[in-house]
Amino acid sequence: MTKTLLEIKEFKMHFHTDKGVVKAVDGIDLSVNEGEVVGLVGESGCGKSVTSLSVMGLVPTPPGKVEAGSIQLAGRDLTRLKRREWRQVRGNEVAMIFQEPMTSLNPVFTVGSQMIEAIRQHRQVGKKEARHRAGEALREVGISRDSILDEYPHQLSGGMRQRVMIAMAMVCEPKLLIADEPTTALDVTIQAQILDLMRRLNQEKGTAILMITHDLGVVAEMCSRVVVMYAGQVVEEADVNTLFSNPKHPYTAGLLRSIPQLDKRSDRLYSIPGNVPNPRQMPTGCRFAPRCEHVQSICLDREPPLFHITTGDHTSRCWLHGTEKEDVDRDSSRDVVRS
Amino acid sequence: MLIPVLIGMSIITFSIVHAIPGDPAKAILGEKATPEAVAQLKESMGLGKPLFIQYVDYVKGILSGDLGTSFITKTSVAEEIGPYLAATMELSFAAMVIAVFFGMNLGILAAWRHNTGVDYTAMVIAIIGVSVPVFWLGLMEQWVFAQDLSWLPSNGRIDARMGFEPITNFYFIDALIQGDFVAFGDAFRHIILPAVALGTIPMAYIARMTRSSMLEVMRSDYIRTVRAKGVSEFLIIYKHTLRNAFIPILTVFGLQMGLLLGGAILTETIFSWPGIGRYVYEAINNRDYPVIQSGILIIAFIFVMINLIVDLLYAWIDPRIQYGKE
Ligand SMILES: Nc1ncnc2c1ncn2[C@@H]1O[C@H](COP(=O)(O)OP(=O)(O)OP(=O)(O)O)[C@@H](O)[C@H]1O
Ligand code: SF4
Ligand SMILES: [Mg+2]
Repeated sequence: MTKTLLEIKEFKMHFHTDKGVVKAVDGIDLSVNEGEVVGLVGESGCGKSVTSLSVMGLVPTPPGKVEAGSIQLAGRDLTRLKRREWRQVRGNEVAMIFQEPMTSLNPVFTVGSQMIEAIRQHRQVGKKEARHRAGEALREVGISRDSILDEYPHQLSGGMRQRVMIAMAMVCEPKLLIADEPTTALDVTIQAQILDLMRRLNQEKGTAILMITHDLGVVAEMCSRVVVMYAGQVVEEADVNTLFSNPKHPYTAGLLRSIPQLDKRSDRLYSIPGNVPNPRQMPTGCRFAPRCEHVQSICLDREPPLFHITTGDHTSRCWLHGTEKEDVDRDSSRDVVRS
Repeated sequence: MLIPVLIGMSIITFSIVHAIPGDPAKAILGEKATPEAVAQLKESMGLGKPLFIQYVDYVKGILSGDLGTSFITKTSVAEEIGPYLAATMELSFAAMVIAVFFGMNLGILAAWRHNTGVDYTAMVIAIIGVSVPVFWLGLMEQWVFAQDLSWLPSNGRIDARMGFEPITNFYFIDALIQGDFVAFGDAFRHIILPAVALGTIPMAYIARMTRSSMLEVMRSDYIRTVRAKGVSEFLIIYKHTLRNAFIPILTVFGLQMGLLLGGAILTETIFSWPGIGRYVYEAINNRDYPVIQSGILIIAFIFVMINLIVDLLYAWIDPRIQYGKE
């Protein structure tokens, strides 16, 4: 029996700026089970980072504001935490690594001192013991020379820094690791190494991973389940095989078509026409309608809910997969309809 | 780097001093002196020689620790200048402490409470601070706190009636050595007003630079990482952010200390503070060349030393900066 570790329900994070309200995350549902690797994909600006930062309580408020919903971590609602309580969660129960390894470590402190700080923040151990644990955590990520503890970040390559970031994130053995595009800034061979490393940590330590990326290749390689986001909402969710073999939402289908393929030669790479909607002025009706080739009149009128596709846990936010009647009949709290 | 700067400074001070209109011999002997007496005095003061020779003599003197002899008191400047120097250093140090402590904390507070009433208030204080002239602030302080409210003394370093016997001429140190806490307290009360007058402008500049530098660092990725570790807000600000924001703050500090030394002359005059500033000020009135030259040279020397220390601090704060390894 798998237990749910993270459960985000109808969560809305809006930014109140001088130029209007940015609905960066506008009612998303997402769950991660213990030990599971879940992919979160979508185009730039769709709200992936805001979602993940919300789980860490790292969205600056103001301008950000939780408008609705909850984020449950092991049964506790994070949106209600006080500042002190947040500090117990961060780095301890949930840890995070970021896209930019080059700038994510403090340039004026040694690797060792930054790792020791992470350990001593949550564990009652002496400096010496913490240093020992830091060395061990670095060996786990494949850095065996102890001298690195006394080196400064600028002395390391990008791949090395990302390893250090992972070691630092893992040092208190969090139940969930959030990786926000951890390999985007690295070159291909290093990317593969880092992904390998993360997969090994997942298997050996049972750490659940929420993998944020816009690279479907990464998803195929790492994840068991995928959540696709578009304009602040979840538009499709499925296990990874179903999603790749049988994408339902026209946006997901478009994303899949835009992956370059070695076996099929084509002169031009497919890309979804049009642009992401302005987050300050979302279209009424389906948010993907202006770019969708299957658009019908209802799409422009009414926002589609998440419909259950007949097979298992596959959901899609598209009028092609359900009817208005079902929407009216939808079960009380969740925005999900069974068909 | 230090040596060419010091040579340049010695040339500049020498030239400025000799460009001051007026004749020292006439100044000493008075308007009614006979031309012969004036010429004779000039000769004995070494002013008859060509300028270049005078300069060489002057530099030779400095190198052997001889700063010349005052035309007026006839004592060696090197001997005489000690207490004045100590007074100036004590005042400047106090002003510096005020500037750094209040400036940085004001800037940190403003950055931490960015775009709130606290931020706006702090920045209004800083804007007023950079634009208020030292002499005006000094006179206002004297008027309000010394005259009107009689809270604090407005003149001198210590109450003369205490009969305080200095040893090193740094009164705070001396008072501690002697275990004389009454004198310590009195010296403390005396230094407050002039130190505040002198420290206000650098305080305001440091506050502004601290704020903008802190804001920039706070937005950086690595501060987000620190926060993601669960580190407390206090350590995020005072350990991680401040250390990174320090370089530009330090630059402003170095520049402001130069201006502070200049401001010291004005402040000393207003508060009858017996420092280098007053010493040189009186020397200028008397055309006492050796005193003027040495006074200015010493102030310039202190300025260079402060900037040298600032440069060393850069490398200590930021491991990416390494001198001599470029
Ligand atoms: N502090 C903020 N203030 C105002 N708007 C913000 C803020 N942070 C994020 N946003 C907005 O929220 C939206 C979602 O941003 P987010 O960073 O989550 O996108 P993303 O999916 O991670 O994109 P990318 O792939 O480029 O990282 C964007 O429109 C962005 O402009
Ligand atoms: S609801 Fe309509 S516009 Fe939106 S994705 Fe489905 S078909 Fe396209
Ligand atoms: Mg992002």
